[in-house]
Amino acid sequence: MATSVALQLGFPVTATVTPVTFAEGVREHQDEVYGVALRITGDRDAALDVASSTFFKAYRAFDRFDQNRPLRHWLLRIATNEAISYVRTRGRELRRRVDVEQATTLADPTRAPDAEALAREDRARIRSAVSLLPELYRVVIVLRYFNELSVDEIAQVTGRPSSTVGVQLLRGRALLRNALEVRP
Amino acid sequence: MRNDQLDAELFDEIRLRRALRLEAAELPPRLDVAAIAARADAARPAFVAASLMSTAVAGLAAAGLVALVAVALPSVAPGLASDLYSDGLQTFARLAIPASALLSLAAQPTIPIATLAALAVGIAYELAQRRERVIEVTS
Repeated sequence: MATSVALQLGFPVTATVTPVTFAEGVREHQDEVYGVALRITGDRDAALDVASSTFFKAYRAFDRFDQNRPLRHWLLRIATNEAISYVRTRGRELRRRVDVEQATTLADPTRAPDAEALAREDRARIRSAVSLLPELYRVVIVLRYFNELSVDEIAQVTGRPSSTVGVQLLRGRALLRNALEVRP
Repeated sequence: MRNDQLDAELFDEIRLRRALRLEAAELPPRLDVAAIAARADAARPAFVAASLMSTAVAGLAAAGLVALVAVALPSVAPGLASDLYSDGLQTFARLAIPASALLSLAAQPTIPIATLAALAVGIAYELAQRRERVIEVTS
């Protein structure tokens, strides 16, 4: 399937460091690209839109992409930029949609909370706190704790200096801790 | 104290990782690579046409500008040159008046330029050597 799509797309398979076809790249990284978009936008439809436009842009620029560099970082860079611009242009509409989604997933107060329900609630609170972080910190927090990137890798993806990323991670974590303490 | 802080941070990080992980219910539908390619290929002719159009417009604008300059320059050039020349002369005259006053002052025999020059050299030398003045106290 991947080979046929790769052939259909007409990308040359060169003999450099394990070149990947576009189809392989999509298959390998689509969950991660969707995930980073979901955690930055906080909305599933928005995340799907962002993932789709990320791969659309990647496809158009794939012949110019340096195959010696990691495809994952390149895709994450496009995805974070797309997610940020999506949030900027449709922020208000998105916030309203996320609020409605969160309201519909609230726990039923008549039922006794078991451990699983508590854990789910805790995850929902943390996700909500992450989605309310300023964009500057949200991006680095998501790349660090969702994508498991190192500080240097985040610096590469975001184009910020490593020292700045380190400070933003510290500050983002502190903001999260405060937000979670204030809203138990 | 330090260990408590480290534990708290570690706990925060573990909580964060768990919370941000994609759950099975959140996994996206598979993206259709062929559809993406088809969409991009369909958009490509429009993109190429738009870029060709913008290049043509920019080329026409540049050609128009060059033609305008080529037509206008011969008629404007003589006037421009004479204006520049007269402006230069005016500036020179404006500077020459205070300069001539200074020169005539320096030419006065009552002001020995050599003394002033020697003083300036002395000051410069002292500054270069950064010598402290020594005040001799005689009592």
